[in-house]
Amino acid sequence: MKQANIITRHFIKTIIRSRALAAIYLLWLLLVTYAAVTGYQVYITQDTLRQQFQHQARQSWEANPDKHPHRMAHFGTFAFRQKHPLSMFDYGMESYTGNAVFLEAHKQNTVNFSEAGFSTGLLRLGEISPAMLIQVLLPLILFFLGFDTVARQKENGTLKILLCQGAGFRSIIRGNSLGLFVVAFIFLAPVLAAVAVQLLLQHAAPGAAVLQRAAYLLLGNLFFLWIICIIAVCVSAISHNSRAALLKLLGLWLLMTIVLPKTLQAIGSAMYPAPGKIQFDAAVEKDILKIGDSHNPNDLHFKRLKDSVLRANNADSVQQLRFNYGGFQMQEGERMSSEVYNRHLQTLYDVYERQNNVSKYATFIDPLIGVKNMSMALTGTDFTAYRKFQDDAEAYRYKLAQTMNELQQKYISNTTPAKDEHPHSIGKEHWTAFADFTHDFPPVPSLLYQERLTIAAMLAWFILSFFLIHFTAAKATTL
Amino acid sequence: MYRLAFKNFIRSRSVIIAIALFLLTGIISILIGKQFLRQQQASIEAVTQLQQEQIARNVAHIPDQFGLLMYYLRFAYVNLPDPAASLAIGQQDVNSSIQYLTIRGLEGQRNDTGLYNPYHQLTGNLDLSFVILLLFPLLIIAFNFNVLSQESEHGTWSLVKIQVVQPVSFILMKLSIRLIVVLGLLFLLLLLAVLIIRLPVNERLLAYMAIAALYILFWFAICFVLISLRRSSSISALLLLSTWVLLCLLAPAIINNYLTVRYPVKEAYSTFIKQRDGYHTRWDKNADSTMQAFFRHYPQFRNYTWNSPKFNYMWYYAMQQLGDDESAPDSKAMQHKLKQRLQSAGLVALFFPPMHAQLQFTGIAGTGLEEQLQYQDSTAMFHERIKLHFYPGIFGDSAVTGENWKQHVPQYFHSSHRVNWVLLVSPFILFMLVLGAGGMYLFNIKQ
Repeated sequence: MKQANIITRHFIKTIIRSRALAAIYLLWLLLVTYAAVTGYQVYITQDTLRQQFQHQARQSWEANPDKHPHRMAHFGTFAFRQKHPLSMFDYGMESYTGNAVFLEAHKQNTVNFSEAGFSTGLLRLGEISPAMLIQVLLPLILFFLGFDTVARQKENGTLKILLCQGAGFRSIIRGNSLGLFVVAFIFLAPVLAAVAVQLLLQHAAPGAAVLQRAAYLLLGNLFFLWIICIIAVCVSAISHNSRAALLKLLGLWLLMTIVLPKTLQAIGSAMYPAPGKIQFDAAVEKDILKIGDSHNPNDLHFKRLKDSVLRANNADSVQQLRFNYGGFQMQEGERMSSEVYNRHLQTLYDVYERQNNVSKYATFIDPLIGVKNMSMALTGTDFTAYRKFQDDAEAYRYKLAQTMNELQQKYISNTTPAKDEHPHSIGKEHWTAFADFTHDFPPVPSLLYQERLTIAAMLAWFILSFFLIHFTAAKATTL
Repeated sequence: MYRLAFKNFIRSRSVIIAIALFLLTGIISILIGKQFLRQQQASIEAVTQLQQEQIARNVAHIPDQFGLLMYYLRFAYVNLPDPAASLAIGQQDVNSSIQYLTIRGLEGQRNDTGLYNPYHQLTGNLDLSFVILLLFPLLIIAFNFNVLSQESEHGTWSLVKIQVVQPVSFILMKLSIRLIVVLGLLFLLLLLAVLIIRLPVNERLLAYMAIAALYILFWFAICFVLISLRRSSSISALLLLSTWVLLCLLAPAIINNYLTVRYPVKEAYSTFIKQRDGYHTRWDKNADSTMQAFFRHYPQFRNYTWNSPKFNYMWYYAMQQLGDDESAPDSKAMQHKLKQRLQSAGLVALFFPPMHAQLQFTGIAGTGLEEQLQYQDSTAMFHERIKLHFYPGIFGDSAVTGENWKQHVPQYFHSSHRVNWVLLVSPFILFMLVLGAGGMYLFNIKQ
């Protein structure tokens, strides 16, 4: 153990003195600053804008005069997706998910205006965020700094001397890995500082949930960097010379960051094809029509519904009912179409899930995918966070439509007003009484449960890393 | 000697493995492109059928009220992908290529997106343009990083120096062998693409080929400069890979962040709210003021009676129109902002060949933002045509059966993109001249 400590200290000392490190570190600081500043600006701009527009949408809603509740159901409102404060650290898939949706009766609209839709083809080459720097660039830097740890000593013969002096291969590998990990932490430190500043500067003080997410985020990234350090040193130890070690590590990096994530996703999409929007809409419409077409005056389903309502209320015509029949029919129609729509959407999302699971399972062969998934989940920038918004928005839309239908049943008469008569209407106090839209992020425990596979894989990697030290030490030769 | 050197290079096991791997990846990317085209085709067929069915069903159910019928009917306007889109999918998996619109307000519909798996969009498509832009440079680097250092490290460099008149020509010869192999691989892949996807051989394909070839030449020029520094194999590999990281990963990401921060598209949100308010608040306003505003936009409809005792859809569609009219300034501002983004990106890309190549690839394939904006403009014109076609029928309460419904099939957008050869070629040529001269200079002073 003592030998390993000496080696660690020696590694850090030599690396800190090297000029290359100073240059890389300077560039690193610039990149971290740039990523943090632009991330902060995007967050503040978007957060302010969306809150402002959410507020504006609400004002327009409340400004409506007395009117027929069904007019209000069509007036509808908007839901703007709020960003999580930690999205300053990791943009995740935020650029590809929509940001605003119009909520109205009878119709589930798409969530529109994703950043990607406003972007040139450059977006496809990536975005720079603190998370991207840690997950993509830092491993490369660590491979640069770690490829010759053992291999160089092999080349110039110092390895033999070390071994003769009684330092075992295990101490050498462990010592160097630890040294590299300390260097990794030196690189991580400015990112931590940047994120802390970001969180302190934004509008609201970060709550306990944010801090909890941040803590798990740090833990996940530390695990990942530790694994990277072990890989670097072990590859260096089993290579005959430093050049071979470098080429192997660069190959690994490419595979991990570029080739595997893209290929696996392509495989997932090919294995489980998802329908496009048109096919999806057509299928939903077909299923709804199967039950009943509310636009068809002779539709059997709605005719039967009417007859049964009249019978139950001992009435001969809708005029005799004590509630508004139009409101009742729309309530039934909304319930029915929402059920069908949600069932189809669930099926679609199940397909997406199966597509993404291919990548998810790949965490066992590529720890980068694992840390990326975990980071996206914890920063509220993954598919679950997006779905939570979409679900909240749909729940609100449904409630809006049904509340208006209930108001119609309760307050609107069954007789149609004559052309010169004042149309049926209810007081505008009902509009303010209907609460505004809000949405939140999934709670941390549910996120951890959702990412249980990723967490298991990362833990497996962590345990494996110690075996790796052991086996590499057993297999490595001095030449 | 050239043939011997060529054989010597091509016979190496690692070279063969590398070429085989790239060939495989290239073929996969071509198949992904083909699948993309097939999906687009399936969507187009689906919308053609859906439109026909919906028209038939609604015309049967609502034979007596033209205005009510037109509330439901939808008309497709399709951005038919060029086959070249399969080689550079670009933003076409983000932007919907089918607009399926009613004649009601346009702004409330035209920004509707498709349904996509955002995880898939995040990782992006492994199309041929990706293989060429990001992976080919790595192959070039792997082939070239030790072209010179290897000779020094194996001690053969002094032999070379006394045997050839100009050592630089020896290095250039070695580079040219590798260039032939890489270009051969590229042309083989393009040939396979033509065969597998049945791409038409036209100006687009030619331009695509030109960008790819020039881009490859650009990376050879970079390699030439960096190996002329005469560093060890390891250092050369590190330098080349760092250049790749800088040019292909960091620079585009940095620029992209800049564009997002510099041009936030808040007009999108305001258009969204204004079109809704512009239309809906009209229900509570005096109908006469609505109609006067509508007649100011379309004076040709002044003669229709809108205030007959029967409910008149003219007033309804006038209200819809005012939603568009009131959000028009915001919508224009949004388009303007996107054009600014496009221009800035194009300008910066002139100084970064990977970005330039990416924008040109998507430009040629019609899968970039520029094409999307054109399509959006054209969609507005399509919507206007359909609307004006039906307005007289609705306003005059014509018979639904009087309309020839068979003619309302999906219509197609044809882009007017022309290949701008000067813009396409010149940045590459300039870079290569500068790098070539720099490499020669470095090579000579390091002798």
